[in-house]
Amino acid sequence: MRSLRRFLTRLINSATRRAQDERLREEIAEHIALQTTENLRVGLSPVEAHRQAMLKFGGVEAMKQDYRAERGLLWIENLLQDVRFAIRSLRRTSGLTAFVVITLALGIGMTSGTFSMVDALIFRPYPVRHPSGVVTLVSTTHDSSFDAFSYREYLDIRDKSKSYDGVIANADMEAVGFSAEPGATPRVRGGMMVSGNYFHVLGVEPRLGRGFREDEDRVHGRDPVVVLGPDFWKHEFASDPSVLGRTIRLNGTDFTVIGIAPETFPGMQIFGHPDFYMPLAMARVFSTNRQKNFFEDRDDRELNVRARLKPGTTLQQAQNELTVLAKNFESEYPKVNRNRGAAVHTQFEMRTRADDVNWKFGVIFVILALAVLLVACTNIAGLLLSRARTRTREIAVRLALGAGRFRLIRLLLTESLILASLGGLVGIAIGYGVVEWFHSFQNVIFMTDLPVAIPFRMDTRILLASLALSALSALLCGLAPALQSTRVDLVNGLKSADVDVPGRKRLWARNVLVVAQVSTSLMLLTASFLMVRGFQHSLLDGTGFAKDHLLMTSFDPRLVQYNAAQTQQFYKLLAERVREAPAVQSEALTQNVPLGEDGFDGIAFVPDGFQMPRDRENFNSTMDTVDEGYFETMGIPILRGRGFLASDTADAPRVAVVNEQFAKHYWPGADAVGKHIRLDSSGGTPVEIVGVAQPIKYQATIEKPMDFLYMPLAQHPIARMTLMLRSSGDPLQLVPSVKDVVRTLSPNLPMLDTRTYEDFYLNKAVEGPRIAMKLVGSMGVVGLLLAIAGLYGLVAYNVSRRTHEIGIRMALGAAQSDVLRLVMGKGLVLVGMGTVIGLAMGFALEQLMNSMLFNAGGVDIVAYIVVVPSLFLVTMLAAYLPARRASQIAPTQALRYE
Amino acid sequence: MTHAAGCSTPYLLLSQRKCAILPVGNQNGGAMKQKTDVLQGTLALMVLKTLDVLGSLHGYGIARRIEQISGDLLAVNQGTLYPVLLKLEQEGAIASEWGASENNRRARFYRLTREGRKQLQVETQDWEQTAAIIGRFFEAKAEDLS
Repeated sequence: MRSLRRFLTRLINSATRRAQDERLREEIAEHIALQTTENLRVGLSPVEAHRQAMLKFGGVEAMKQDYRAERGLLWIENLLQDVRFAIRSLRRTSGLTAFVVITLALGIGMTSGTFSMVDALIFRPYPVRHPSGVVTLVSTTHDSSFDAFSYREYLDIRDKSKSYDGVIANADMEAVGFSAEPGATPRVRGGMMVSGNYFHVLGVEPRLGRGFREDEDRVHGRDPVVVLGPDFWKHEFASDPSVLGRTIRLNGTDFTVIGIAPETFPGMQIFGHPDFYMPLAMARVFSTNRQKNFFEDRDDRELNVRARLKPGTTLQQAQNELTVLAKNFESEYPKVNRNRGAAVHTQFEMRTRADDVNWKFGVIFVILALAVLLVACTNIAGLLLSRARTRTREIAVRLALGAGRFRLIRLLLTESLILASLGGLVGIAIGYGVVEWFHSFQNVIFMTDLPVAIPFRMDTRILLASLALSALSALLCGLAPALQSTRVDLVNGLKSADVDVPGRKRLWARNVLVVAQVSTSLMLLTASFLMVRGFQHSLLDGTGFAKDHLLMTSFDPRLVQYNAAQTQQFYKLLAERVREAPAVQSEALTQNVPLGEDGFDGIAFVPDGFQMPRDRENFNSTMDTVDEGYFETMGIPILRGRGFLASDTADAPRVAVVNEQFAKHYWPGADAVGKHIRLDSSGGTPVEIVGVAQPIKYQATIEKPMDFLYMPLAQHPIARMTLMLRSSGDPLQLVPSVKDVVRTLSPNLPMLDTRTYEDFYLNKAVEGPRIAMKLVGSMGVVGLLLAIAGLYGLVAYNVSRRTHEIGIRMALGAAQSDVLRLVMGKGLVLVGMGTVIGLAMGFALEQLMNSMLFNAGGVDIVAYIVVVPSLFLVTMLAAYLPARRASQIAPTQALRYE
Repeated sequence: MTHAAGCSTPYLLLSQRKCAILPVGNQNGGAMKQKTDVLQGTLALMVLKTLDVLGSLHGYGIARRIEQISGDLLAVNQGTLYPVLLKLEQEGAIASEWGASENNRRARFYRLTREGRKQLQVETQDWEQTAAIIGRFFEAKAEDLS
């Protein structure tokens, strides 16, 4: 208690120092005066009386110091002093300060901006209670390490495993026709089917109403209940609490709203935030795959399964248990579970899975941003070093007057800490800018009606990380200069304003800075150049189909409760009628447009005449369902055989078209046309290959060639299809006539995602990469500019310090070219060394990028041919300019220069 | 018992008592500092006692009184009194205010607070106890210790 009180008083005293000093002075004066009076009374002369009084009092200054140490908190006062001093001296060199702050801010801003991306993609925990206990269960095969589970498998895992406090399942978010009132034209919203225990196990308490009860997910089709997502509730119902208990229509079925999910739970996915949740038991209303029975077929794998580990249960125990379960599945259901395992993954493992490129881009961005920061730091270190040198005399005076070295280092570090804090603050502002910039692409990158959002944001974690980064940079930038500049030879330091300590240590530090700068910026440039070229390459390669003059619009007849037969009839009539509309050259129906949002379906098959490996039941390929007009409309050449015909009806023999990659894969050296595949297994339905199509880009412009198979719509009915129309003029002019046709066929059916394909393509396939290129490109440019500025500064500074020496050399008869060579030679060596190291780093980064992103082997020679010489030239110029200036100085002037 | 916090070693020899009776000044100081700590600790106790006996006094008055009673302890370095006064004031044992001195000039007058009086009692007891222990120790004969 007493010590706390003392601390507080001392803290206050620190602030009111001046008044206190005055009081002490007065007390001392009075004390001495009283003593003098006393002495006078004893009979001493006035002078002697005063002298004796002073003697008796003792050393005033020493006492004052004790008094001050006792009174305030010395370290706080010192710190404040340091800060005041640092601010004053930084303000004196405001230009330099501004430069340093901006440089640092760029580095920190870029790092925190990109880190917000990586944080959202990898590190941010699930928005649930105790997120670290939630693990993901996946089914594994030869082709996929992250497969989903079927409903039956989920039930078995849920009931038989003992490692978990609950096992939950959800289907992917899908397009659902929503109408608030019966009779209104349905709109497409994103709904997600979840198991009855979903909210309970995750520990998500609804904001209003309740979550699902387990019994609501038990009887198929009995309980049409729905929980709304927070955003959907806000936008669709204006946060009206009376929506609870109300009936809304989903895919034509009435559902009762029983709860609203809390604001804190936007969903378990990174990007997709469901508008509402339905129980799995209502799957018949939402099922997309008409060939499979969701509740019964063990190979209808549509469910993502997560579980909450029991406290004390390790991942390994859970994994062992699941392996046994998977083995049992395999022996019980060999037909559908052969060679199928299962694995338990943490959130981190799921987020950093090998088949996802987003986080890889994020990581590469962060690496590049850190490189920018590194260049910025070396730059600042160089500047501070130069600055500290011009202060040699000041520091020498301080040391001579008795300042401790530690105290001086602390002073100098305070300076760089202030610089770093300023840089950090501005950097965080820049980080916010970067995140906003990411957000501005939300509607560009995701061209879909479903609720997806870019979840990057600057939260406390990022802010703390940025501040830590600033402090670290302060140490990095400031420590070396501080250590060096306080190690001065006092005598020399006092004699001259700027003196070089004999020995190589000092130069060595400076040279390391130059080399680090050149090499890091070379790496940055190489990386950005490679990335830009990688994307350009993929764009220049072309997509393999015609993108112009195409209109696209999608339909989902489930929204108006069509059954399978009605749906087939609708598409048949739609195709026939729109073909006759004016300005329509050709028509196509496809399940997925190329480079679209949704992934293509997969198909399992066994090719006839192909020696199956012993451990495999079947192969997998991606596929699309199209109608007979597709290949012509999309301009995809059929290399051999034929495309689909109107005669390939549901009753005709099953046919398929494969791409050339597929054909070469399974029938190398032979003609695939006329061969057969069997669906699912060797005993499955035979399908004849009737044609071989030229491969195109299916999912992304940077994908590598892949197997692909087409099935005719008539033989493989799909509910949600996209109509593609090739027009002779502006595709959008076709919209009214399509609308007319649709209205005559089905008045209430909405047209979804209506736009020109070119528009879609530019946004989806070009804009995304372009954003990445902009980001990486700007990092490269910033890195280069910083490196140039830093290099120029360092060389120029070196030259100016040697002005005197140069003057002597020239007075002794050195020619201008000799001086130039002298100064440039050093720069050349440093730039050369930096280039070599930078090349090595760039090469390593290229390997990393190739393995992570572009799937391209080998080295992009062009990148190095362009980047290396240009960097070399630029850096040489940075060294040349100051060197030339030095060589032009008149010797007389140089000799007089201090 | 506030004064002995952190001072767990039993104090047998004064010179080893880092915490003294009242911890004063820089307690992290080296061996050089210890002696003045002891002095200051003693001084603090004297100040308290002086104020207890004489009531409100200014710095010079306290110095004179201590000088009269203790002889040469404050013959030189009267100034060392002021940091001790400050410390006691910050701890709340004494309070100070401006008043008029014998010279009819402004002087700072110190007086004991209630807390200071309590503290003085505790310290006095401690001191007497310590003195008694040391006294017995010094009086002990060789055969008593065997």
